[in-house]
Amino acid sequence: MMVGPGWPYWAFIGLLAAAHFTLHLALGLGPEAPDLLTVAVLLAARNTSGAVAAAIGLVLGMLQDALSLVAFGAEAVTLTVLGYLGARSRDLFLGESLGFVGLYLFVGKWLHDAIYYTLAGPVLRGDAVVRYLIMAPLAALYAAVAGVLVLMLYRFATGER
Amino acid sequence: MANYFEGPRRGRRRETLLAGVFLLIALFLFFLPAAYQGPVRSLIRSTALRPFLVAQAQLSDRRSRAVDILELRAERDSLAAVVAAQATLAEDNRRLRELLGLAARAQPHFRPAEVIVAGVPGAESTFLINVGRRHGVRVGSAVIAAGGLLGVVKELDEDVAQALDWTHPDFRVSAMTADGEAYGMVQARRGRFREEDLLVLTSAPFHSDIRPGTWVVSSGRGGIFARGIRLGVVVGIEEADTGWRKSYLVRPAVRPESVTHVLVGVYGEGEGRADLSELWNVVAPPDTVTVPNNGASGEPRNGSARSSTEP
Repeated sequence: MMVGPGWPYWAFIGLLAAAHFTLHLALGLGPEAPDLLTVAVLLAARNTSGAVAAAIGLVLGMLQDALSLVAFGAEAVTLTVLGYLGARSRDLFLGESLGFVGLYLFVGKWLHDAIYYTLAGPVLRGDAVVRYLIMAPLAALYAAVAGVLVLMLYRFATGER
Repeated sequence: MANYFEGPRRGRRRETLLAGVFLLIALFLFFLPAAYQGPVRSLIRSTALRPFLVAQAQLSDRRSRAVDILELRAERDSLAAVVAAQATLAEDNRRLRELLGLAARAQPHFRPAEVIVAGVPGAESTFLINVGRRHGVRVGSAVIAAGGLLGVVKELDEDVAQALDWTHPDFRVSAMTADGEAYGMVQARRGRFREEDLLVLTSAPFHSDIRPGTWVVSSGRGGIFARGIRLGVVVGIEEADTGWRKSYLVRPAVRPESVTHVLVGVYGEGEGRADLSELWNVVAPPDTVTVPNNGASGEPRNGSARSSTEP
């Protein structure tokens, strides 16, 4: 049976989600702030079952969708799928090093953007090549770096490895 | 066969099944008709996201208070001069109307509001304003900035409304040149980046020759937007559909990214019939149509003028 992380980890995930909405909604920042919501779902997924990870993705995705007039539900679908895949990725890859987590976040965020762009479709700006091959990897790199930094802070604060 | 996965197989199946249920819920939300999505969005905005929305409104409020006092004083002095100059005209107008038995001309009422920008991908080309149903705002209310039209209210909560700005692909406004020579529809022409977005005046008559620098304003047709709101300036011809119509590129009067404070129409039903030409010194004569009078000879009537002068 899988032993889940303690409450500090879940508090950390909650703080990441709150930080995301603080940056993007309370401060109104756009792409200049990293997508910490996807980072939160991906990090949560590595430490819980597929069903719980999907549920976390669904809830956080609905929160983000509440601001979307053009693609309501797209974020909920994307984060639900991503949460489940993130949890199942444990079956294929094991690793807790910062390098591995960074790569995992990069691939996860790129996948997130690919699914989201596909669902949201024509309402988004720019052509597909720019979106999938330029904007998405850049956003993924930014999210991965931000994710690794906050994870380092968390590990430093809690003493976890 | 070796079991590569942790835990018993039955538990794994149940987990996948549960995840599938969550995915079905998410897909249900995604395919939900727009009319049913609104209440869900509204519920989440007014509960879980409310603290963040309130925080941005307060931040915006503080930022606006930090505006240079000298700038505010200069604006106040200019306004005072304009008001003083127009006070006697307004009084004369009121007295004449009383003498003629006419009611005051219906004008839309506007409420000041602060713009709240949500920096998430799904909220692109939309913005929130800190007034809602409680303040008299309705779906379809025009949102106006100092330079002209910014957008239109699309969804309402009690204290917050969400609006489309003119860069949204669904945004349309019936328009005319400020001199009333050509009519058409104005819509967004999106660029690769937000800064490249322009407006385009479509369906202008082929014989029209609109010079660069001509102002384009709302025509009031369709009953959504009041007549005479500035939309932008013609910068050149975009396309000429041989023998039929022309499209003109229009540089917008308002850039959404620079707007922090707006006025929101709260007049409601009759807002579209109102005339705001005087606000931006639009000189075009009101739109005229010929309405048959009981089958008798067509008597030209002035639609906008009629609505604005009716008792």
